[in-house]
Amino acid sequence: MGRYIVRRFLEMLLTLFLIATATFFLLEAVPGDPLSQRADKLPVQSREVMYKRYGLDKPVMERYLITMKNMAKGDFGESFVYAGQTVGGLIHDRLPVSARLGIQQMLLGVTVGLLLGILAAIKRGTIADYTVVAFSVLLISIPHLIFGLMLQKIFAGNLRWFPTIGWPSGDELWFGGWKYTVLPTLTGCFSYIATYARLLKTSMLDVVNQDYVLTAESKGLSRGRIIRKHILRNSFIPVMTQLPMSVAMCITGSFFIESIFAIPGIGQYYVTAVNNQDLSIVLGETVLLALLYIVVLFITDLLYVVVDPRISMPGRKK
Amino acid sequence: MGETKKILEVKNLRVSYHTYAGEVKSVRGVSFSLERGKALAIVGESGCGKSVTAKSVMGLIKGPQGEIKEGSEILYNGENILHYDKKQWQSYKGGECAIVFQDALASLNPTMRVGKQIMENLIAHKHMSKEEAKQEAINMLRLVGIPEPEKRVRQYPHEFSGGMRQRVMIAIAFACDPKLLICDEPTTALDVTIQGQILDIIRDLQKKSGTSVIMITHDLGVVANIAQDIAVMYSGMIVEKGKCEDIFYTPRHPYTWALIRSVPRLDLKNKQVLDTIPGTPPDLLNPPAGCPFCTRCKYCMQICREEMPEFTDFGNGHVAACWLHHEMAPKVEMPDLRGGHHQ
Repeated sequence: MGRYIVRRFLEMLLTLFLIATATFFLLEAVPGDPLSQRADKLPVQSREVMYKRYGLDKPVMERYLITMKNMAKGDFGESFVYAGQTVGGLIHDRLPVSARLGIQQMLLGVTVGLLLGILAAIKRGTIADYTVVAFSVLLISIPHLIFGLMLQKIFAGNLRWFPTIGWPSGDELWFGGWKYTVLPTLTGCFSYIATYARLLKTSMLDVVNQDYVLTAESKGLSRGRIIRKHILRNSFIPVMTQLPMSVAMCITGSFFIESIFAIPGIGQYYVTAVNNQDLSIVLGETVLLALLYIVVLFITDLLYVVVDPRISMPGRKK
Repeated sequence: MGETKKILEVKNLRVSYHTYAGEVKSVRGVSFSLERGKALAIVGESGCGKSVTAKSVMGLIKGPQGEIKEGSEILYNGENILHYDKKQWQSYKGGECAIVFQDALASLNPTMRVGKQIMENLIAHKHMSKEEAKQEAINMLRLVGIPEPEKRVRQYPHEFSGGMRQRVMIAIAFACDPKLLICDEPTTALDVTIQGQILDIIRDLQKKSGTSVIMITHDLGVVANIAQDIAVMYSGMIVEKGKCEDIFYTPRHPYTWALIRSVPRLDLKNKQVLDTIPGTPPDLLNPPAGCPFCTRCKYCMQICREEMPEFTDFGNGHVAACWLHHEMAPKVEMPDLRGGHHQ
């Protein structure tokens, strides 16, 4: 078990190194640099000072080595575009906003999705089943952008039930200011509903046809018990694979939803940073997201052992 | 409940599966009965409707694909189980009637401890507390010959060997002392030595508790061991049935002849090639009008293709459905049942 964790940790470091390197050189390969837009109109001397301040006067390989060295110390550097803005500050200010939005979307979406999935599987071949399937296909086909704007127009514009834009801050950062969060949460939660409803339904229909369900039925157990103890638990194994990925994804924010509702989250900033070639911010966020994914994947592997007794931890003695 | 001698009587059972290709008539008018404490074997090749018959008796035919046709009767202690309500079904399944399937690995829930899978049954039918049920589960495992049952109850099916898993299935089936046990090819997935042990366990438990058994198999060796009566099924119908001795020594149907001739024999000294039945069973989407065996039968006549023969009675409950026994048919001698032919 200990050796397994150490191995996974070393693999994680290697992965992060590769991702950071790839990101660095990809951004370098883009024509122009983060400062050119602002600096081009300045006198040559001022321009040189500016390039020197950000270290852009040095050759690529040298900058790569400096960046990697600092990154190893946990320092991603300052934003090229917004003076004084660092990756650390960004995470502190913006990550909680994206995280709250994502968690709300996920809790609502996954819960409703799983319930609808169970409903569709149990009532297979009925109106309820077809409604859920049609609904899922429809929801998964509508982009967030369209859906968000539609909700905004109807519920904020016409009906005036909720504010059009904005997000709670300060004391209400994590709890409170609910009316601002309703529309963004709804916009994002539908893709979870569609994904999880279809995932669980497919998985349950697969399990229903297994022989052990027939055995359970031949025992004369109640329908509810068969579903809960024999079908659901075994159907959850594929859900277990998807769920941690959703958790990782939900925290990292959504560019469209954050843009539409003017939410100061990290997703919007990330995309803006890529457009501005804001190297240090992009690099920092990419590495952090990668880290998040790797940790989540590791947790998934541990969870498998809990859900499926057939899988045992490597190195664990029987 | 009536004190009838017959625990189970199946009359004109017809089961169909509705598929995209059309209606598959899996069982086409099967009738048999089973006396209390006796064992009946249903034999036949794959796809002949044996398992579907077993599932019907167990109440496991599920809509919307599966359908037991109108007019079918399955009388358990004189009462038609097809008219049971939900509550009666729940106490019948598992409590009165239990089933052991062929593939024990697939038939056990992979994510539930073995002990719990036995306990479920006890809690549902005998209303035991968890603690009592656990003790009883340990007893059951010991009864079917699983060593260290105290440790084994806490394990999962994948930690058991094939033979041990089938023992667990038997423990589950016998947990609530069923009056009727259906074994759907219980030894097919096991190797020969384990087959023998499993059959011994089933026979012992049957004797001890006086359970009636329906043994579904395609292995005539298994039948000889356990059953008093045999029904030979072909293409969703029973073509011959009777006492074990009658079927083995004086079979009347060409299909039964061919079936017995295709059993490997150890007592034949000459180098002989094992007899096989050429061809495949008819397509049950479009079952033939006449005798279903006519396309593969050596003795096929004109009438066989056109009309289904009635049962001819040979006494002692021995009946066979074949035109050869009609008074107008040519006399055909029974072939050498030891099978094999020189190449």
